[in-house]
Amino acid sequence: MRISINMAKPSKGASPALSHTSSSKAKAIVKKPNDYTSEGVVDNDVFLLPGTDYQIMGVLTLVAAVIRLFRIYQPSSVVFDEVHFGGFASKYIKGKFFMDVHPPLAKLLLTLAGYLAGFDGNFDFKDIGKDYLEPKVPYVAMRMLPATCGIMLAPVMFLTLKALGCRTMTATLGTSLIIFENGLLTQARLILLDSPLMIATAFTGLAFISFSNQHEQGPSKAFDPSWWFWLAMTGLGLGATVSIKWVGLFTIAWVGSVTLLQLWVLLGDVKTVTPRLFTKHLFARAFCLIVVPVAFYMAMFGIHFACLVNPGDGDGFMSSEFQATLNSKSMQDVPVDVAFGSKVSIRHHNTQGGYLHSHNLMYPMGSKQQQITLYPHKDENNAWRLENITQPLDANGQAINGSLAWDTISPPSYIMDGDTVKLYHTSTNRRLHSHDVRPPVTEADWQNEVSAYGYDGFEGDANDYFRVEIVKKMSDGEDAKDRVRTIQTKFKLVHVMTGCVLFSHKVKLPEWASEQQEVTCAKGGTLPNSIWYIEQNEHPQLGANAEKVNYRNPGFLGKFWELQQVMWRTNAGLVESHAWDSRPPSWPILARGINFWGKDHRQIYLIGNPVVWWSSTLAVAIFVIFKGFAVLRWQRGFKDYENPVFKRFDYEIGTSVLGWAFHYFPFYLMQRQLFLHHYFPALYFAVISLCQLYDHVTARIPGIGLRERPIIGRVGAVVFLAISVFAFTLYAPLAYGNPWTQSACNKVKILNGWDWDCNTFHTEYSQYSTKSIDPNQNVYKTSSPLLPSNAAAPPQAPAQKPLAEHISEVSAAVVSEKPLAPGHSIVSREEKVEYRDQDGNLLEPEQVMSLEGKVSFKTRYETRTRLVDAQGNEIAQPEDAGVAPPHPDVEGADPETLGVKDGGKGEPVVQKDVKADQSKEEKIGGADKEAKPASEGNEATA
Amino acid sequence: MATMKGAVASGADYAETARRRNVPSTSLNGALVDRVELDEEKTQIKKKQQSLLESLDEWEFIIAPLIFTILAFFTRLYKIGLSPIVTWDEAHFGKFGSHYLKREFYFDVHPPLGKMLVGLSGYLGGYNGSFEFKSGEKYPEELNYTVMRAFNAFFGAVCIPMAYYTAREMNFKRPAVWFVTLMVLCENSYTTISRFILLDSMLLCFTFTTVLCWARFHRLQNQSFSAEWFIWLALTGISIGCVTSVKWVGFFVTALVGLYTAEDLWRKFSDYKMPKVELATHVVSRVLGLIILPVLIYMLSFALHFAILENSGPGDAQMSSLFQANLRGTEVGKDSPLEIAYGSRATIKNMGYGGGLLHSHIQTYPDGSGQQQITCYHHKDANNEWWFYPNRNQPEYDAEAPIKYVADGDIIRFVHSQTGRNLHSHDVGAPITKSMKEVSCYGNTTVGDEKDHWKIEVVKDVVSRDRSKIRTLTTAFRIKHQILGCYLRAGNVNLPQWGFKQIEVTCDLANNPKDVYTHWNVEAHWNDKLPGADAGAYKSPFLQDFIHLNVAMMTSNNALVPDPDKQDDLASQWWQWPILNVGLRMCGWDDSIVKYFLLGNPLVYWGSTASLGVIAVMVAWYLVRWQRGYDDLKQADIDQIEFAGIYPVIGWFLHYMPFVAMARVTYVHHYYPALYFAILNFGFVVDWMLRGQKKKIQYASYGVLYATTIGLYIFFMPISWGMVGNNRQYDYLKWFTNWRVTDA
Repeated sequence: MRISINMAKPSKGASPALSHTSSSKAKAIVKKPNDYTSEGVVDNDVFLLPGTDYQIMGVLTLVAAVIRLFRIYQPSSVVFDEVHFGGFASKYIKGKFFMDVHPPLAKLLLTLAGYLAGFDGNFDFKDIGKDYLEPKVPYVAMRMLPATCGIMLAPVMFLTLKALGCRTMTATLGTSLIIFENGLLTQARLILLDSPLMIATAFTGLAFISFSNQHEQGPSKAFDPSWWFWLAMTGLGLGATVSIKWVGLFTIAWVGSVTLLQLWVLLGDVKTVTPRLFTKHLFARAFCLIVVPVAFYMAMFGIHFACLVNPGDGDGFMSSEFQATLNSKSMQDVPVDVAFGSKVSIRHHNTQGGYLHSHNLMYPMGSKQQQITLYPHKDENNAWRLENITQPLDANGQAINGSLAWDTISPPSYIMDGDTVKLYHTSTNRRLHSHDVRPPVTEADWQNEVSAYGYDGFEGDANDYFRVEIVKKMSDGEDAKDRVRTIQTKFKLVHVMTGCVLFSHKVKLPEWASEQQEVTCAKGGTLPNSIWYIEQNEHPQLGANAEKVNYRNPGFLGKFWELQQVMWRTNAGLVESHAWDSRPPSWPILARGINFWGKDHRQIYLIGNPVVWWSSTLAVAIFVIFKGFAVLRWQRGFKDYENPVFKRFDYEIGTSVLGWAFHYFPFYLMQRQLFLHHYFPALYFAVISLCQLYDHVTARIPGIGLRERPIIGRVGAVVFLAISVFAFTLYAPLAYGNPWTQSACNKVKILNGWDWDCNTFHTEYSQYSTKSIDPNQNVYKTSSPLLPSNAAAPPQAPAQKPLAEHISEVSAAVVSEKPLAPGHSIVSREEKVEYRDQDGNLLEPEQVMSLEGKVSFKTRYETRTRLVDAQGNEIAQPEDAGVAPPHPDVEGADPETLGVKDGGKGEPVVQKDVKADQSKEEKIGGADKEAKPASEGNEATA
Repeated sequence: MATMKGAVASGADYAETARRRNVPSTSLNGALVDRVELDEEKTQIKKKQQSLLESLDEWEFIIAPLIFTILAFFTRLYKIGLSPIVTWDEAHFGKFGSHYLKREFYFDVHPPLGKMLVGLSGYLGGYNGSFEFKSGEKYPEELNYTVMRAFNAFFGAVCIPMAYYTAREMNFKRPAVWFVTLMVLCENSYTTISRFILLDSMLLCFTFTTVLCWARFHRLQNQSFSAEWFIWLALTGISIGCVTSVKWVGFFVTALVGLYTAEDLWRKFSDYKMPKVELATHVVSRVLGLIILPVLIYMLSFALHFAILENSGPGDAQMSSLFQANLRGTEVGKDSPLEIAYGSRATIKNMGYGGGLLHSHIQTYPDGSGQQQITCYHHKDANNEWWFYPNRNQPEYDAEAPIKYVADGDIIRFVHSQTGRNLHSHDVGAPITKSMKEVSCYGNTTVGDEKDHWKIEVVKDVVSRDRSKIRTLTTAFRIKHQILGCYLRAGNVNLPQWGFKQIEVTCDLANNPKDVYTHWNVEAHWNDKLPGADAGAYKSPFLQDFIHLNVAMMTSNNALVPDPDKQDDLASQWWQWPILNVGLRMCGWDDSIVKYFLLGNPLVYWGSTASLGVIAVMVAWYLVRWQRGYDDLKQADIDQIEFAGIYPVIGWFLHYMPFVAMARVTYVHHYYPALYFAILNFGFVVDWMLRGQKKKIQYASYGVLYATTIGLYIFFMPISWGMVGNNRQYDYLKWFTNWRVTDA
């Protein structure tokens, strides 16, 4: 064992060249260190490269620029997720608040590019294929930002490989592979986030690899300017990456785990690293790798909030406190005390559905009484007067009648915890009412319908009584825990007769209620969804000097944190399947791409360069197999790891493969829709691994003869590069949206999963020459690129009828409806919910009562599905006989599918109206082949 | 290390030797024995004679567990029949037990062993299976529920001696062994849950046996291939088989043993002096003992399950049509002609888990093609019936012509019996699963095109190799669309309200022959010209039923997600368990009902949870010291920390973390297996800390721990033995508002 006490560090200038020139010199450098210096490491500082390297890098950057910028104006219409990211630029310029699952950095930069080029935000990027030229959108300028990022990827890759100690030849090869990667090219030419993400990830990689190189050279380099520079750059890079997409978290995980390893090695160096020095190392890293990225990330949101000052379509996702910080959504101070006779608006606490609302429309089913909904906008129909259950007495002891009776009572009597109130809807003169009828949409047995009931002058019945129960732990302030105070007090409204609690959840009513949110009365609903508070409040006895209150300003941190949570929830909710999604196992083998755009017999389809893709995957696989054998041999006591070349091979490539793994495997855990472009960061690391493998085999590993004959390596690189470029040209028309022929297209379609449509192309190139001058020519409508996703759709403002109409209809309602006795349930028999246990046995109501709370009931559809199939005849719905007569079919027809009731014997029934079928069939041919953006306004990654 | 191992090798009395070496003073031990037993007010052994003490010391490994066991049986059985009503999940498991007695096929998410044992207990108690076990209902006279409960309590009680021996195998010192045993004995939640007709006491019992066998097996590692070694290996395997056959939670303890075995083999692999044959024998014996044997036991429990449940029952629908045809009293497969011919009318069932019958109704798709919907549905009605018709290129079906059977590879049309339309697909995305194609019902007998053509591809036939015919029930086939080349598929995706929440049917472009959701079979079949098949034609292979049932269990287990709108006062969340944040009311809270509340012993819960933090700090401390070059620990110490400290923590982790990730509704009793590992770890931490301390400190510490454990147990005894009368009387037990012992 050679142990050199003298820590001879390699001379700076000569290091990269020296290490490759001859084996004897390489051995001379390799000395076994006795501190935390890694054996066999030389200084690869990229600032000290020879001039020729910089020249080569410059040339490669130029090549990249040519490749990326070629016909960047093409296509001149909206492509794929430009729908979203272009749209966000418009919203930034207009200052309209929106919600997106991605952090803001890249979107802000895109906006900046558009803004500088004079974009005024008056283009909505609504559909794929929508023309840019006519409305004069500076889309080329906006595309220049991703393109610049894409171009910069080339020199960054070059420097990264040099920082890893690769030869210039290898670095050139790796850079060229990145330049001629069709997928990266496609992403870099469009207004998308992936190109900025890639450059940020790549820059972080460069910085961290350079830092690691400095660190591994041992104590002599620690805390040098170069060491500090690269550490700080790593932190900045991490901040930038995670501020573009949350995939940056994977980069953080990679840097973090390698840093922990480095710290562990540091800790083991008892000779040179004192506890004090170790602490210094620890804090330097904590500051640069935790504090800096977090500060950067939060600063981006600071800018985000500074830009978005107006209400927009993202409001519905945010809390009332948050919304109150937006212009024109903020409200005047409101009197804090609530008394009988107060005219209030009542807001739901947990969902952003809005205010307790009623309007002069009836439920089409159930009790057929007036609807109660949640409505997100301020409106006179949100106004309720809080009445006591007994009328107040005047000076003579006589009851004052009418709902305005409390206006004159002085001092006003506050509503205390436990008081029972009636809620009088001021614009329709009806009162909030509940009874034992199933709600219109949620047909759960434990929920009752809530309606508005009565008429002007009707004194109400006991089903109008609601008891106020203050939720003390959520109410703000001592007074607010005792009596109802505006905004501060959070309370439940318990229906006195049935014991159910006024409740709302994210369930929309159908068309007949303008898709407003359903309100029910629930027995045992979740607490957050049962909580209400008063937002608007007025009372004649509370003058101008009354104590006022307003929403608490959440402050930057409050807004920041709330937005993070909403982004996380929305992201996790993007589970709907998409026509072009793919799962992680298909990525490394490039099994499927994404259709981005198709128009004028041209197409843009995201597909990688198969040569680059497959060879990089192969490199990773080779390393994993190598590692497996190495570990087995190590456990069997072989001394492979005493060889510095072996050790460096294992560690250096291992670090890159770890980066690949961190950017790839977490996607397996995600349920949300995923796309091929999520693989790009992992691909970048895989390409680095490939280059390192190539460099080791051709220039570093002794004994196989390649290191001694560099010409073989060079020829190999050139050949491989040539193949890659050739493959690139084959698929380039799909990246650029260039003319192509059907035959050329079909020829290169190797895998079944590559589902671009060759039939859209012309058969001859000459057919293209006359076309594509007029951008509006031949535009056909793409089939609804905007797929509304449930998770993402904010509560829309439905059309609200003008107030006058409601009032005019009130009298009619009085005539048509007669009040019923208190507690009377109006249509108790109209439907009956059956309860069955998992075996399909019908449960008695008492049993159900006893089970309540212990088990969760599934919806009746699912339950029925389970029990019906047991014997088929068990579902005969005996109790419902009075309502729906039993079906004549022996086996009992499916009550939910109104099939033809007789027949089933003899020949099939011939239907006459099949003409419609035929016309429908003709219309839909190939409708599915259109490009679609990743998702509604919330295309997201991590 | 060597001497240590030598001591281990001597079998049952090694602990004696080891202990003696570690704790030289016998009088100390004697005194401790006395203390504990006085605490428990059980015996009055006087420390008069040295010889008596010595013999006590010598026989401690029998006397102490015996006393603990007696106490365990007392605490588990005392007043076990006090509450004569069906309590909590007795409603489920008692009912499942009844199904075994009535021999009716049922479906449940848990494997059958535990429920078969419940059935056995009912059998022993002379119960005939007629009671419905409705929650909260009073047990009838003829049902001897005390016997059934006592049977369960037995499993709970034998946990205590096993905890004792496990702690010994973990090389704890005697006071720590007692402490561990005492914690298991004086654990209110274990006591309470063992006293009812539930699976948890069995699950706990088999978890305990697995840990014991594994620990014993570990101590025998220097006597590889001895008879004793093999016995304990086999016992470990049997325990694993049993624990996984009770509940799938058992897989977590299996994973613990698996991790240990992997590490053990990995170490042996590094021993290059070991002959390769010996290494291979090690691997093979573990594969046999820890994989094959448990799998066989698991399968045996299902074989018994199928053998006992031979009548048709409420769970039929979860099984394949072929399985159903073999149940007594079923309609499936009755009188259906065996082979399908052109002109046959049939229902077509999807063979994936929960697969329904191919269905259509006059409602149309709201988007896409707008044609008539195709769904999969479990309910049996005439809308599920399809005619097998020749394709459009062939002559029209002639009812008078001789019978022509449908063969593998035939291209046919399916005509919906009720609407006369053809099963059809086209290049339109399916309504939900957008990456697949929509399937609709289109045209009629005359109107239509080649997109109505489907090719039958037989996957397999369980009774015959002849593929020239399609057989009712037994033939599994795929249905391939001729134009698109896609396969008819019904996954587990439900349509929205417009499709009545029935299952979406799609046409899958991926050609994956193994995807059972693309497999279909004929369930009911009518053809006047063909004779009915005899019952023997339908045989169901065990392995297929076994796999099908397991997939079904897995799918419905995952489907147990709570209603997000419903406040569930019984459910609790993972983070609440280790800090004993909540309890669980097991029955109604009326004054007339004997009330049971599921809550643990605070010292055991909080202490064990704290010990997890302590060991983490401890290990980190030793690791950092080691990396800095300090040699604090001998190899024996490291082994002790790893085996008795870290492995229980891993066990705790394995039993706890899945519930963190799980979306399904969780309850406090899901923590109980994890709690055992936390208890073992608590024992280790106490043992490790107090090992080298002065005797006085040891006396004092153990004294306080013993007294607190027992004191709290007795304090909270009413919640385990049943609270009679008004719940306000027990106000003193309600330390926190979440402990809903009383309504106040």
